[in-house]
Amino acid sequence: MKTLALYSIKGGVGKTAAAVNLSWLSSGPQSPVLLCDLDPQGASSFYFRIRASKKFTGEKFLKGSKKIIENIRATDFENLDLLPSDFSFRNLDLELSEEKKPLRKLRKNLLEVGENYRYLIFDCPPNLTLLSESVFSASDVIIVPVIPTILSMRTYDQLTGFFKANGLDTTKILAFFSMVEIKKKMHRDIVAEINGRPGFLNSMIPYSSDIEKMGIYRSPLGAVHPGSPASRAYLALWEEVRSRIGD
Amino acid sequence: MNPSVKIVFFRGQVPAAVQPWHGHAFSHLFRLTGTASKRERRSFYDTFDWHAYEKKIAIIRKKHTLHTISLDSGLETAYVELSGSPASFFVREIPAGQVREQLSACSGIRAFSKIASFDVVQKTSRIVDNNAKTIGFFLEEEYSTAGKNIEKPFFSLCSVQPLKGYQDEAEEFSELLASHGSFGDPFDFRELFRLLMNAAGRKIQGYSSKISLHLDPEASAHESARKVLHSALSTLKANEEGLKNNIDPEFLHDYRVAVRRTRSLLKQLNGVFSPEDTGYFLAGFSELGKRSNNLRDCDVYLLRRDEYFNSLPDFLQQPLDRFFIDLEASRKRYHRQFCRYLESDECRTFFSDWGRFLANPALPGQDRAPGASLPSIEIANASIRKAWKKVVRRGRIACREATDDELHELRICCKKLRYLLEFFASVYPVETVTPVIRQLKELQENLGTFVDYAVQIRFLREKLETIVHGPESHLFAASTGGLITTLNRQKEETRALFHKAFRAFDDHETRRRFSELLENESLK
Repeated sequence: MKTLALYSIKGGVGKTAAAVNLSWLSSGPQSPVLLCDLDPQGASSFYFRIRASKKFTGEKFLKGSKKIIENIRATDFENLDLLPSDFSFRNLDLELSEEKKPLRKLRKNLLEVGENYRYLIFDCPPNLTLLSESVFSASDVIIVPVIPTILSMRTYDQLTGFFKANGLDTTKILAFFSMVEIKKKMHRDIVAEINGRPGFLNSMIPYSSDIEKMGIYRSPLGAVHPGSPASRAYLALWEEVRSRIGD
Repeated sequence: MNPSVKIVFFRGQVPAAVQPWHGHAFSHLFRLTGTASKRERRSFYDTFDWHAYEKKIAIIRKKHTLHTISLDSGLETAYVELSGSPASFFVREIPAGQVREQLSACSGIRAFSKIASFDVVQKTSRIVDNNAKTIGFFLEEEYSTAGKNIEKPFFSLCSVQPLKGYQDEAEEFSELLASHGSFGDPFDFRELFRLLMNAAGRKIQGYSSKISLHLDPEASAHESARKVLHSALSTLKANEEGLKNNIDPEFLHDYRVAVRRTRSLLKQLNGVFSPEDTGYFLAGFSELGKRSNNLRDCDVYLLRRDEYFNSLPDFLQQPLDRFFIDLEASRKRYHRQFCRYLESDECRTFFSDWGRFLANPALPGQDRAPGASLPSIEIANASIRKAWKKVVRRGRIACREATDDELHELRICCKKLRYLLEFFASVYPVETVTPVIRQLKELQENLGTFVDYAVQIRFLREKLETIVHGPESHLFAASTGGLITTLNRQKEETRALFHKAFRAFDDHETRRRFSELLENESLK
């Protein structure tokens, strides 16, 4: 089982779209996938038309694998399950802080869950809290979407800085450019400047109205528009991630 | 995964009132969509003694795939690509993965044979909720007997198959369906399995190699013994077809066990049958045993193939190939010879004589069979006591040096005692007879393993002595020597453990249990 986290300190960078599409692309008969929607906004759950049970709360999420397994729901796509988010997940960091070993809690809870899956993918909330740290500890790679803008690059630097300051393994971070509008000079310049930097993937996801329309179709892009440029870009991104994690 | 997820089945065709549900919202909650139809053949497999069923698994082959289904939930647990339509297959022929793991846990030795085949017309629709999320599938199925021609369906059903996490919604849908009235009570997959097996004329768990009899302690020993012998004959007959069709080695194994049990009973129940009668039958069963010895030996060595290869270094493994190729050829020959014997007039006459003998309830004369009319419990007590004392006596002798011959003899005595205990288990209280059998079983395991090693060593030694000198004979000799060394070490380790195993059997507690068993007059 490999654990992948889609993470960004900054919101609105295409994190959930990437989580949904990478989950869909990575799933198959030999590789069942569980997408864990940790973001209290529940956008991944929304994309798959899944609502969490009213009884499933952040507190229960931390109770152990049994509670998690009970709340896993099948998406409309074979071999792709989802652990839906709940609004109460906004307090997950508070709940975690009461745990004895908060950084290990997530990994421990997911160990048994992971027996049934080849990939576990986290869609994380856009902040840097105890929950994020717990995700960093539980994940094999942290996939970070970065818009080629000054502010977005700054949050990427903040993240790598945080990793270094806390003695975490920075090689776990795999960044990629997201929502790229190549006609914009700043995007072109930043992409050119960063090109080839270790920790950055070569694949880029273009800015695309097809991706925005995922909210209308409520489905992964590849399932609706398999031939679209954005769909192909996600496929290339997945292939690159897969080779980087040695799968 | 989620243990509460379960498929619900309804018997009968979908009522006309439900037909318009397809493509339309039929309640404020659900809608059926994306209907697709297909016709497929489904073949069910299990071992002869229903090991998969015992493990709560149904094995179903569809066009190019083999599926395992949980009998409890009706949900598929795994599947694997499998081409062709084999009448039977072994676990080793299944590609590595979940299905193979599950089937290995059912039985590594037995073949999985086709037990029933059906042609199924299936219509599948998605059940979607008012959020357009699929919550499960609605399946309408018609079963007909598999054949070249399209047969009239003998069974129609529909089922609701929830997606993970949507059990509550699926139940709500099922209730809506049930409210349309024309269905019977919902049932589960296990019940469907039972219905299908009935339709195919199969009796679930209709065969077991274990003795399961209910004898009356006060009935005459003659009557009880005939019942036991009848049960052994049924086992013989049940295994004959599989043995002849060469499905797996367990058919012959169970056949031979039934032969041994029969001989053992005839020999040990002195005075229950007339010696003139039993002489003829004992000779006949002895002949069956002898004629199948070589065949069984080949099976045993072929089953050990992996074990032999794994116990040798790489360069000594290759010379064994020839050994196993020869063994397979010999096995083929012995199998043919034994089957020919089973078909022979001599054998047929013997079995019809045996059948007639068992069917005759008349008690033999008191002078020739003084024990025939005695209560079963009396004969059981006497014969078990005699066999037990023999085991203890032989065991105590063996305890001094534990020679190969002594342990071999003791093993035979234990077997005889075990058969008697199993034959008459039902005339004793379960709580008394079970621990006695358990204790004996532990000793038998040690002796069985020991004799097994000894027999293998003797066999390999004979091979070694008859090696024809050739370009690779030295390598084969080295392989055989390697095997003998390993087996001898294992044999000596087992011999060392014998003393402990026998001490545990010949102790105060076991004696107390046997006394309780044989002296307790308060029967069940």
